Amino acid sequence: MSGQSQRLNVVPTVTMLGVMKARLVGATRGHALLKKKSDALTVQFRQILKKIVSTKESMGDIMKNSSFALTEAKYVAGENIKHIVQENVQSAALKVRSHQENVAGVKLPKFEYFIDGETKNDLTGLARGGQQVQACRTAYVKAIELLVELATLQTSFLTLDEAIKTTNRRVNALENVVKPRLENTITYIKGELDELEREDFFRLKKIQGYKRREVEKQREAAKAYAEEKFVEEISLRRGISVSSAHDMLSQAAQKDEDIIF
Amino acid sequence: MYGFEALTFNIHGGYLEAIVRGYRSGLLTAADYNNLCQCETLDDIKMHLSATEYGSYLQNEPSPLHTTTIVEKCTLKLVDEYKHMLAQATEPLSTFLEYITYGHMIDNVVLIVTGTLHERDVQELLEKCHPLGMFDSIATLAVAQNMRELYRLVLVDTPLAPYFSECITSEDLDDMNIEIMRNTLYKAYLEDFYRFCKTLGGATAEIMSDLLAFEADRRAVNITINSIGTELTRDDRRKLYSNFGLLYPYGHEELAVCEDIDQVRAAMEKYPPYQSIFSKLSYGESQMLDKAFYEEEVKRLCLAFEQQFHYGVFFAYMRLREQEIRNLMWISECVAQNQKSRVHDSVVFIF
Repeated sequence: MSGQSQRLNVVPTVTMLGVMKARLVGATRGHALLKKKSDALTVQFRQILKKIVSTKESMGDIMKNSSFALTEAKYVAGENIKHIVQENVQSAALKVRSHQENVAGVKLPKFEYFIDGETKNDLTGLARGGQQVQACRTAYVKAIELLVELATLQTSFLTLDEAIKTTNRRVNALENVVKPRLENTITYIKGELDELEREDFFRLKKIQGYKRREVEKQREAAKAYAEEKFVEEISLRRGISVSSAHDMLSQAAQKDEDIIF
Repeated sequence: MYGFEALTFNIHGGYLEAIVRGYRSGLLTAADYNNLCQCETLDDIKMHLSATEYGSYLQNEPSPLHTTTIVEKCTLKLVDEYKHMLAQATEPLSTFLEYITYGHMIDNVVLIVTGTLHERDVQELLEKCHPLGMFDSIATLAVAQNMRELYRLVLVDTPLAPYFSECITSEDLDDMNIEIMRNTLYKAYLEDFYRFCKTLGGATAEIMSDLLAFEADRRAVNITINSIGTELTRDDRRKLYSNFGLLYPYGHEELAVCEDIDQVRAAMEKYPPYQSIFSKLSYGESQMLDKAFYEEEVKRLCLAFEQQFHYGVFFAYMRLREQEIRNLMWISECVAQNQKSRVHDSVVFIF
């Protein structure tokens, strides 16, 4: 990423400044809210993690028990009991349903199992082993319960993980990219505006200076003219035109064609 | 005629009786079971078994051994021994040997029928069948579309035909629950086997009647206990009880009306042999009942070997082998699932 704190390319006007300020406020509020969401999700995440660990431990025991129940059933009812039961199956009696739950704004899936239809296997192993077969069935039903719960927990775990990552990414983006950029843009706009103002001010001052000098020059010119006028008048009273005298002198300075030397 | 078998039995049956007694001495002993129970992994079990008669069957298995492989190979050994004996047998021993496998045949037929009803692949179903219960036309069972065709086309040629016709009409076949069908067939099979043994006479009849009576009674008790709380009506229950055995007919009357385990126990305590079984269980507990029945069965089967010149030894041997395979399965599963503490719960020692 080149230039962590770049700024947006905008025209540095006052309206733009207003727009940028509004955006900064929005970004700040969004950042705070997302941070709260991220914290809430993390709390949920930790809880689910704890539950997963305990469920997995108990699953180990339950699976062990159910496999052993199957062994007992096989012992008493004959090795073929597995095939007999399997061949007698039409469709599953234990099914799983899923629905969505909303947790802190994230949609988590939740699985639950339900019994659909009667199992007609009540008489399996009638002549021998029936009890063991039923015991095996209850053990496996318990195992299925636990497995369904574990499935719910694990999918929620993964979904929450994704959600937390996304939210954190957004928080970090706001914090480290968007806000600095906006702030820099605002600073830049402010700087530009200040400079424009300074330029204006300077221009104004300069023009004022010119004007003042003009006025002064005018005044001096006027004063000089007034003095000359006064002198002229006095000299005229004496009978000499100063100006013409001046003129003669000045003319004399010039070469007169009539004068040979 | 009881008592004169010694004169004529060895003519036809002597060779095979010797063979079966030889097989019997190859059954795993308590010392073997103790060794197996100490094993930590399935490879240890394989190593111990290679020292017994199962060695040649398990040698070629690759190293990550699975419990089902062990059971498969042991069953394979049993099937080989059975086929060897069947090939050498003459009438009536060959019929007797075939009778022993009808139970498995019934299981296989029911499995294929249910699988076909639910549209499973035939090859897969055939692989799941028990090897002792295979017969030639078993694959054609999958062809039939409904039960009537099934009976007409296929079952009529198998040895199971009379069981179907005796107890089930073809309308019933469609609606009947699979388990009820299986148990009705099994009941017919037991009664037929009982009659057959009675016609053989002599020591065979006596010993086999005893063993089959125990089987029938045990099934009656199991059916009662397992149908408590299900939709099986009392009449249906009564129809599933066999018509011989110690419990027939009064015990059956009592069992038919039982609604919970304690009532069953009260009904059984009137019969001394079963009272000792039930006394091993505390009140309200029925998990150990199956193991107690297996133990009792093994005891009676071992007693069958005490006498000579009868066919009961074959039946006893097959059942003892099956029990041994069950033990091996239990031990391997316990070792594989790391439940060594439960190993001794269900192993039934044969010697």
